[in-house]
This record gives sequence, C-alpha cells and structure tokens, in this order.
Amino acid sequence: MQHDDPRNGESTHRSSKKPKISSQFITESDIRDEFSHHHPRVARINNGSFGSCPGSVLAAQRHWQLQFLRQPDAFYFNSLRDGITASRKIIKDLINADHVDEVSLVDNATTAAAIVLQRIGRSFAEGKFQKNDTVLMLHCAYEAVKKSIQAYVTRAGGSVIEVRLPFPVNSEEEIISELKKSIDEGKSNGRRIRLAIIDHITSMPSVVIPVKELVRICRAEGIEQVFVDAAHAIGSVKVDVKEVGADFYVSNLHKWFFCPPSVAFLYCNKSTTSSDLHHPVVSHEYGNGLPIESSWTGTRDYSSQLVVPAVLEFVNRFEGGIEGIMKRNHDQVVKMGKMLVESWGTNLGSPPEMSAAMIMVGLPSRLCLNSEKDALKLRSHLRDCYEVEVPIFHQVPKDGEEGVRDKDGFITGYVRISHQVYNTLEDYEKLRDAINQLVEDGKTCKMLFKE
Amino acid sequence: MASSLHSNNTQICPNPTALNGGSAADGKSQISKKPRLYADPPPLFTPSDIISEFSHHDPDVARINNGSFGCCPSSVLSAQNQLQLQWLRQPDNFYFNQLQPKIIQSRTIIKDIINADHVDEVSIVDNATTAAAIVLQQIAWGFAEGKFCRGDAAVMLHYAYGSVKKSVEAYVTRAGGCVIEVPLPFPVSSVDEIVKEFRQALRRGKQNGRKVRLAVIDHVTSMPTVVIPVKELVTICREEGVDQVFVDAAHGIGCVDVDMKQIGADFYTSNLHKWFFCPPSVAFLYCKKSTNNSDLHHPVVSHEYGNGLAIESAWIGTRDYSSYLVVPKVLEFINRFEGGIEGIKKRNHEYVVEMGQMLVKAWGTRLGCPPEMCSSMVMVGLPACLGISSDHDALELRTCLRDKFGVEVPIYYRPPKDGEEGGVVTGYARISYQVYNKVEDYYKFRDAINQLVDNAFTCASLPIS
Repeated sequence: MQHDDPRNGESTHRSSKKPKISSQFITESDIRDEFSHHHPRVARINNGSFGSCPGSVLAAQRHWQLQFLRQPDAFYFNSLRDGITASRKIIKDLINADHVDEVSLVDNATTAAAIVLQRIGRSFAEGKFQKNDTVLMLHCAYEAVKKSIQAYVTRAGGSVIEVRLPFPVNSEEEIISELKKSIDEGKSNGRRIRLAIIDHITSMPSVVIPVKELVRICRAEGIEQVFVDAAHAIGSVKVDVKEVGADFYVSNLHKWFFCPPSVAFLYCNKSTTSSDLHHPVVSHEYGNGLPIESSWTGTRDYSSQLVVPAVLEFVNRFEGGIEGIMKRNHDQVVKMGKMLVESWGTNLGSPPEMSAAMIMVGLPSRLCLNSEKDALKLRSHLRDCYEVEVPIFHQVPKDGEEGVRDKDGFITGYVRISHQVYNTLEDYEKLRDAINQLVEDGKTCKMLFKE
Repeated sequence: MASSLHSNNTQICPNPTALNGGSAADGKSQISKKPRLYADPPPLFTPSDIISEFSHHDPDVARINNGSFGCCPSSVLSAQNQLQLQWLRQPDNFYFNQLQPKIIQSRTIIKDIINADHVDEVSIVDNATTAAAIVLQQIAWGFAEGKFCRGDAAVMLHYAYGSVKKSVEAYVTRAGGCVIEVPLPFPVSSVDEIVKEFRQALRRGKQNGRKVRLAVIDHVTSMPTVVIPVKELVTICREEGVDQVFVDAAHGIGCVDVDMKQIGADFYTSNLHKWFFCPPSVAFLYCKKSTNNSDLHHPVVSHEYGNGLAIESAWIGTRDYSSYLVVPKVLEFINRFEGGIEGIKKRNHEYVVEMGQMLVKAWGTRLGCPPEMCSSMVMVGLPACLGISSDHDALELRTCLRDKFGVEVPIYYRPPKDGEEGGVVTGYARISYQVYNKVEDYYKFRDAINQLVDNAFTCASLPIS
C-alpha cells in the first residue's frame, strides 16, 4: 500500500539525510521482515496507543544495551552523553527548533506534562501566581494530563477551565469558537490564565486540532504560556515548533516515529521559557538545564533515547522519507475509514482534513454502546474473539442536542483506527467483518462476555 | 593455593585463605535458607556456569566496581528480552492482561524478602534517585501547604549521595526547610563515632523550637562507603521526635541485611540492579503503612493518580517495564547459589575484606573502616606518594586506570584534616566484590598501582583538562 503516490514535493523539513533513489526503497517484503515480531494474526489497527518499532531499530537498541552491560562505567563516562546529544540534534533539525538547548529527551509526554505543570505548581506555592489563577485545557485532554493538572495546579490553589470540543466535529471553526468562549469565561472576575494546554492531535476522540491558530489566539488574549501536548504528532503530522509558536511542545517518538518504548522530546522555547524548569527526578545534574537534567535521572536503560539516528536511517528507506510515510498513512486511514463507513452505514468523526494517521469511525447503533464499560467490553471481545485490536470511544450524547444517526438509532460508539506502514487492507476488512458479524447476530455490548 | 577464588568442585563456595578456619564449602550456612521455588532444587552453579552467565562483561577489564552500576546475569537478560518481545508483539494485550499481575508478583517477592507486612507497602520505581524524589516531594508539599513551619529541618549525612543532596535542595531548601548535615569521620573506627555525630546533628535540628520533619539516613554510604548502624539511628530518631525517617539503601538488598520491621524506618529504598542481579533499572520503595505518609505520589502523574503509590508507580505512561518484571527469574538465579542471597552476601563480604587487606598489605596503607563496618565494598587507601589532592585528581587517576591498565574502580579524594601530618592517605579506592569477580581482578589493580608508584607517577603530572 505504500507505492501509491509520487514523492511529496513540498517538503520543508530538513532531515539530516536525503532519501534514497527509487531502486533502493524498502520493499513490502522488507517491511514484513521489519515487523515480523508483531503478532501475525492480530489486525493491529491501534498504532496510536503504543506505537511500533522495526526490527532494525530494535537491533540498534540491543547494541547500545550490550555496550552498557559490557562496561557500564566506560559507557557512562565516554558514550552516553554524546549519544543523547546526537539524538537531540537530529530532533532539533526535524522540528525546526533554533537551539539544541531547547530540546530535552524524556520518557514520554506524561513525564513532560509533569515537568511543565510542576513549575506551575511551584509558582503558586511561591506566591508568583494568585489563588484561582487559571489553567486552560481541552475537555478531551489525555487523562494523565488532567490528573497532572489536579496534582500540581488544583492542589496548589489554581483553577481549571475545560474547553468543550464538539464531536463529531465538522470544521476547525467550531474548535476555534469554543476556545474563544472558554478564554472569555476564564478571564471573567479578573482571573489570569497562566497556561493553556492544547493537544495537537487529541487522543480520544482523535481529531487534528488547528494548533497554530489556537496558539495565536491564546497570545492575542494574553494567556501567559502555551503548552502543546503533541503526543501523537511527530511522524504523523508536520511538526514545526517555530511555526506553531508555543512555549512548550512535546511529542512521543515511540508512537509514530518508530522508536522503541519509550522516548519523547520536550521543546522549550529559549526566549519565552525560564531556566526554572526541572526534571522531577532530581540527580546530581540539578541546575544544569533541563536537557542535561533529563539526560541523567539515575542509573537506567537510556538506550531508547540513543537510537534516533538508526530511526532516521529507517524512515529514509521509504519513498519520501517521513513525509512520504505521513502522507500515505493519512491517505490510507481515510480510505479505510470510508470503506468502513460505507459498510456499516455510519459516519466519520471528523472531516478527512482534520485527521492524520488515525480517524474515528462510527459504530452501528444496533450495538447499543452506552457506556465506557460497554466500549471496553467490545474492545476486549474484538481482541479475544476476532483478533482485532482497536480502541473504542463512547460518545456521550449532549443534552438537548441531536446526535448523529444511522438507520437504526443514534451513533454512540466510535472506533479509532490507525494506519502505520505495517498495516494491510486485510486488517481493516477483519474489523469490518467482525462488526458486521456482531450486528448480524443481533449482539449488543451488554451481551458480550469478557473472555 | 588456588589461583582463583573458585574451587574446582561443583559447589561455588571457595576456600578463602587465613580468614576462615575451615572451608565454607561444607554446605552449612549459618544463615537460615529461604525456601526454594522447586520441589527438587536445580543444581548449584559451577564456576564455569558463572563465567558463562557474565560472559557479556568485557573480559579485559578488572571490573571491581559492582557498586556503581551493578550487573545482570545473562539468564535474567534473556528473561527480560522475552518480556520485551511479548510487549512488542501485542502491546495492548500485554497492557490489559499481563503488566499489572506481573508487577504485583515482583512486589510480592520483594515484600517477603524484606519482611514487610503488606504488599501495599512495596512500590517499584526506577531507582533510589526516583524514590528520593517521591519522599522529598511530600516534604515540599508539607511546607507549601503550611503543615510545616519555615525553617523546620531535614537532617542528612554529609556523605549522602550527590543526587539525594540535590533532591533535598530542590524539594526541601527551596520550599523553606533548613538542612542539617551530619559530619562523619572518615576513616571511621567504630559505629559509636557515627552515633555521636548523629545525635549532635539532631540536637542542632531541634534548636529554637524547630521540628525535624525528616531524617535521611544511608544504610550503606556511597563515597566513601561505610555501613551505617541504621537500626540504632532510627531508634534515636524516634526518641528525639523526628517526624519521618527515610533510609536510602541504594546498596541495600543483596549487600546488607534488609529487614523492614527490624530497621523500623518510615521509608526504605534499595536498588535491585546493584546487588540483586536485576537489569537496569529497578528499585523498591517501602513505605510503612501509617497515616503519616498517605500523601505519597509518583512525580510523573498518570491516570492512576490517587490510587496509592504502588499503583501510580506501576504505570507512569508508556515505557519499557520489563526490568520491573524479572524479579521471579532473579530469585531462581540467586537460589542456585549455596545459601541463596544470604550465602552470596556473606561470601562477597568475606572476599572483599580479604582482597582489601591484601591490597593494604601490598601498598602499606589502610582500610577506610573496620571489616565489620563494610559490606561487599570496602575503601582501600592508596599510596600517599600518588599525590591525590583533589576530586579532579581522583577522577583522572580513575580514567588512567581504566584506559591504561584495564581496571575499573572508583576513587575517592579524602582531604587532609587540620593537624594531619604529611604522608597521610588522601586517596581511597572503593573495591567491590560480586560473584563474577576473581582474585586476578584485584592483583591487576595491585600491580597497576605498584607500577605507577615505581614509575614515580603523581597526579600533579596529569594533564589539566
């Protein structure tokens, strides 16, 4: 499925290596080899949750691990720091940051959120912020981020505003309008909005957010700092931190950028963020700047942070490099989404241009998916009985609003399908057929037993 | 006498020289054995099994620094690799069905080994550095939320680990607490010296009506290494009304006796990758069940926030948790040694003391502490003529030993005190002994230093970097 389109001509990214000429591109059979460690019978259409890592990158990782085990002291003194710096430099170029000092490597977006929010917490504790100063976030922000806000902001006396996102969503304007409403609400009673946390691509339900526009609005409205949670972004949409213009930007590299679990980068704009950002796990590097603090948080396996060069080699074996991969993933996931919609008689959760490599597809209303529990039950059932792995979202109908209907009732459940280079048409056909079978058999979620 | 510390028969217990009367190979361990996992116990490791288990170590290096980064045998690495492949194969299934039960299994094994009451008291984290951040963060909240008064004190040892000191700075000093360091003599001659300094420091902490909110006590200090009488110090803390006691036992499990109820601290952390054969990295943080410490959180907040520290620590976002999951395999490995972990600890201690004394005799120097105050590591004085006169010198000498002699050993600079005469020992090597070490490792080190001395080497002649 990856030979469809000619090379994407509008690449504005600077990758360290030029992609190869056509005779050297990775073949379908190479790709199967690279992902031969995946369960062969599972229709793995959930790259979004845990990502994937090809065999050649795993081999590079193993090499780093063995180096440490062989002579850890020599590795610590002579190799580790340089290896991490090399990875950070590649990331800096990929994301169009100005200085490598702006790029820290951490475990995952969850850790990055703790770093940014801990600082907010300190500002409240130290009297820099007043009680009821506010943090703004999307209603569908990732649960870990919500809890982090509770742990570091609410606990310290701050208040929180949630921006409701319409779903299904029809246009970017709907999102922009909700943000403006929430900002107005936030600024009422003289409260200051100290931080806005905006997803680049929401998790559940998944939608690509017009971050550049939202960041601009936040600035215009006097919001002090903006943190873009782009857990899904790199390898799935274009990432240009200068263009986005946020103070903080985090993305996981193990989701869509082929790194092993786990590694993420946290970008901190040098001119707008203070040096008072710290990794919460404090080592002897405390005070030497976040990138250095993050590069040593005690004895650990840092190998996932060291394989970024190997990943770059891998993506450059594909036609168009990472841009080619992104474009093809997007085209395929939309194509597959439409195929499912047609077969089930349902809908997409967003227009194609508001999706990247994942898209929400409505489930037939006859499944009667009426709660989170139903969603989880259905997901387990698909895994255990049909060998299909796909996360499922329960759409709570809004009071007084007409939901989207199919021919039998309201659509209250959506699958989030992903497309990554290892996926095949058969994966989605398997899902299509499984759902059709359940509907045909008259099954509802309540009837499904957990295996 | 055998050129290796390992005898040629099937049992692993070698025949140490003058130290013990008889052979330790008669199979009788003074320490009670832990019950084994199998009805028919698997055979004990032979010396060649051990060589094979650590065949991934650099064969040209005399690796006498197990203390810094630990070690992991290849059978445990294989088990880890299997777990990693299971995740990569079908991560969602692993996440929903395997991860949490396997973490609970590891926690349960640890709970039994450390004699904790409830598995709820045992959380698994990356390393002692992370555990320190967890404990100290709640102290910071105590100040921020007005539970503590500005100037209330935290007490720690002067030889506390560098990261812990920085963590105290980040979470205590910054939040308005006052930090008292307990000066410790080094070289040290008896536990009484330590106890005396500790009492005095507590008194300073309580001056002017201040409360001591936390005492951070190393079980085995890092540099210089000494075994601290933690049980006694914890008792003193209770007598003196210290709120909470946190024992930093990074070198604890597999190195000294680790019995939570006996030691009696509120918090106790130990790395499992140092002396307990786990891969990098994994540690446990024990938190005694009490109302005093229900407010502990992992600083990396996930959706599990509020479900208790053990559950929070078991999911801090997508990561490779495989090192947390191999504890059962490690137990299998350990139980193939005579006397299990107790036997390993005992023999490591005996050999490191024997090797330390061999080096001290060869160089005309001294040990940093009496044998009963060391574990499986000991500080060995280096010849004064080497002229180690700064931390920089110590690091440079270490690099020289690594690059030119193939010896890996950390060096500590001990500044001369007022009134000490010239020729005092200012440099100490911290030698470790773990099951993969052999006597040749220490001869190599002995000979390297002797050669440097013969060549009239001094640190002053090292290039300034």
